[in-house]
Amino acid sequence: MAQPIQSVVIVGGGTAGWLTAGIIAARHQGRIKSGGFSVTLIESPNIPIIGVGEGTWPTLRSSLEKMGISETEFFRHSDAAFKQGAKFARWTTGADTDYYYHPLMLPQGFTQVNLVPHWLRNDQGRNFSDAVCPQEQLCEAGLAPKMITTPEYKAVANYAYHLDAGKFAPFLTKHCVEKLGVRHVLADVLAANQAESGDIKGVFTKQMGEVTGDLFVDCSGFSSLLLGKTLGVGFKECSDVLFCDTALALQIPYDTPDAPMASHTISTAQTAGWIWDIGLPTRRGTGYVYSSRHSSEEEARATLLRYVGPEHKDREARKISIRSGHRQTFWKNNCVAVGLAAGFLEPLESSAIVLIELSAKLIAEQMPANREVMDIVAARFNDVNHYRWGRIIDFLKLHYVLTQRPEPFWRDNLDPASIPDRLKNLLHLWKYQSPWFFDEFDRLEEVFPAASYQYVLYGMGFRTEVDPADNADTESTASQLLRENAAVTQKLRSQLPKNRDLLRKIYEHGLQRI
Amino acid sequence: MTNIVVLNSVTHRDMRVQAEAAAKFGDNQRFVQVVVGEFPLLVTHYPILFSKDTETGAFLCGAMLGIDEGENLFLKEGKGHEAYRPLNLQRVPFFVAGDDLAIDLDHPRVAVHAGQSLFNDQGVPTPYLDSIKAAFQQLKPGVEMTKRFIETLLKLNLLEPVDIVLGFDDGTKRNLADLYTVNQDVLRKLPDAAVIELFRRGYLQLIYLLIASLKQIPVLAQKKNDRFLTG
Repeated sequence: MAQPIQSVVIVGGGTAGWLTAGIIAARHQGRIKSGGFSVTLIESPNIPIIGVGEGTWPTLRSSLEKMGISETEFFRHSDAAFKQGAKFARWTTGADTDYYYHPLMLPQGFTQVNLVPHWLRNDQGRNFSDAVCPQEQLCEAGLAPKMITTPEYKAVANYAYHLDAGKFAPFLTKHCVEKLGVRHVLADVLAANQAESGDIKGVFTKQMGEVTGDLFVDCSGFSSLLLGKTLGVGFKECSDVLFCDTALALQIPYDTPDAPMASHTISTAQTAGWIWDIGLPTRRGTGYVYSSRHSSEEEARATLLRYVGPEHKDREARKISIRSGHRQTFWKNNCVAVGLAAGFLEPLESSAIVLIELSAKLIAEQMPANREVMDIVAARFNDVNHYRWGRIIDFLKLHYVLTQRPEPFWRDNLDPASIPDRLKNLLHLWKYQSPWFFDEFDRLEEVFPAASYQYVLYGMGFRTEVDPADNADTESTASQLLRENAAVTQKLRSQLPKNRDLLRKIYEHGLQRI
Repeated sequence: MTNIVVLNSVTHRDMRVQAEAAAKFGDNQRFVQVVVGEFPLLVTHYPILFSKDTETGAFLCGAMLGIDEGENLFLKEGKGHEAYRPLNLQRVPFFVAGDDLAIDLDHPRVAVHAGQSLFNDQGVPTPYLDSIKAAFQQLKPGVEMTKRFIETLLKLNLLEPVDIVLGFDDGTKRNLADLYTVNQDVLRKLPDAAVIELFRRGYLQLIYLLIASLKQIPVLAQKKNDRFLTG
């Protein structure tokens, strides 16, 4: 008889481990309650959480909601804040006035009409994101994406979160253990116990003996304990495409506790990389992601200090080595990797946490009934994940290939040999037609939809040829949508509170569930 | 502006308050916050619904007196207020400050030469002032009781948003948003123990008064429509 899959063992805590535990346990509550299914998470009492990615995607809202978490509690315990997208400063020309937005809302009427050719023909003096979406103005005005009367997880303007991963994981732990019935084992994993087939039967721990299971999820971080070390799956680097290999992270306080707080990530291009700037309620997280081939550590430290200001000269930035790339396969035998154990890419578009969510969701939804059918699910999972990682790499690279900046780091990024073929083809195609709804980004859960490509392309001054006759059919709908966007923008600007004011109210009064 | 001071029979001996209902005195309100003790009096005239405090997001219970902002369809200019006038309109311009009664001296109701006296020559409160005190004797504990009632409804998932769309004979439409009422599906499926608990606390009756009051929505809309017809 085929061995049923009844026991999932997750190795590693942190954001990846606990999100995966929560998503799987929430989906299988019925079976967990009836005793026919279990989720166990083994976490070392000694290994600290790396805490990459403090930026997320709007998917996290539905992930948390499905886990039965109160958004108010999440805000209060994860040092979380709103994120309405990202502002990319100095990526195109490097000038002070050079910036564009990648907001989280789709362009107005996105499924009806592609506004790109209409905007290209007549931009009416507005940049692309401002012309088609209210969010750039909301961010520039420092406004929150909702009101205190808006129910939990509901948005007025689409939003994700900035959060403190070091606080988020313990918050998830408590919820998963107390509400979702996840078994929490605090122990150091020493080695895996493998069957002849290569399947993992259990893991030996220092403190708790052997922990057995039917499906193992490797959330052990960079060390990739099970998939990498035990099962010997290799690592596929992509440093030939994405050059940044080092990060200097620095947390800085606000000047005053009530200082304005940005509701978007700010990514500012530098000589040999870019600096992230993420506003949490209690601090700003900043960091310089750079290519060590193009900048010395000393230069990089000076660059970061110049960005944050000389008043922070006594703060020491933490150096993190980045190895861009991913495992050659993600699910092998009865082991699947999620999070850093699967791979890592520079946090330019906050892809880390959304990938964890999407992977965990796929595992939860496609949970194989028994060992016999697991390989079918695994093949699917690998196919989807190869697609996703490839797409993300392409999309990140897109940010680098439209630049006019003169420094060697930026010129090297334009080298055709460093641009993946698929992206090259798309860039060629997009000279004549813009990416849109009916494009190849048609997967059910696409990490970056065609709209994201539009925001980056036209934010950076890319030109697509437009035949005026081709626009004629949709001209009136398009101009109506552009007018509507201007009206909606005005309305939201007058309605929405300041970002920090809303957070203060959430702390004080909480959001309602309905 | 407001200028709220504690009332006393010496300083305010000669003060008068124009007590009649009128738009110029602030009775032109579409939604007036109410307390649970008023439900039986309200239900025969007004829809009783929930809305959210725009400052805190907290749920409030209120009576709908009109459809549009600043509209009280029960206000007859020069003839006062038709039907039961909610306590929160009756009490204006008074407040409570701890155990004391306070008054907003800058309120247009406050006058010297016209209106109701507050005290007689001996400094004894007049029947009008006594009626204000009586209103607060209901309001003060009522606010707390109403808050607890709302908390119970929320805990049992008994509130749901309600979308009210009204069409009028002048061809216009109103979409009343941000209003909430009792979720009757959830109510029907409540476990027995919860139902008994609601009954013992007097909440079940309140819930059915809320449900019954929904029938006042079309009546209210008709009242507005009649105004269109009569110009």
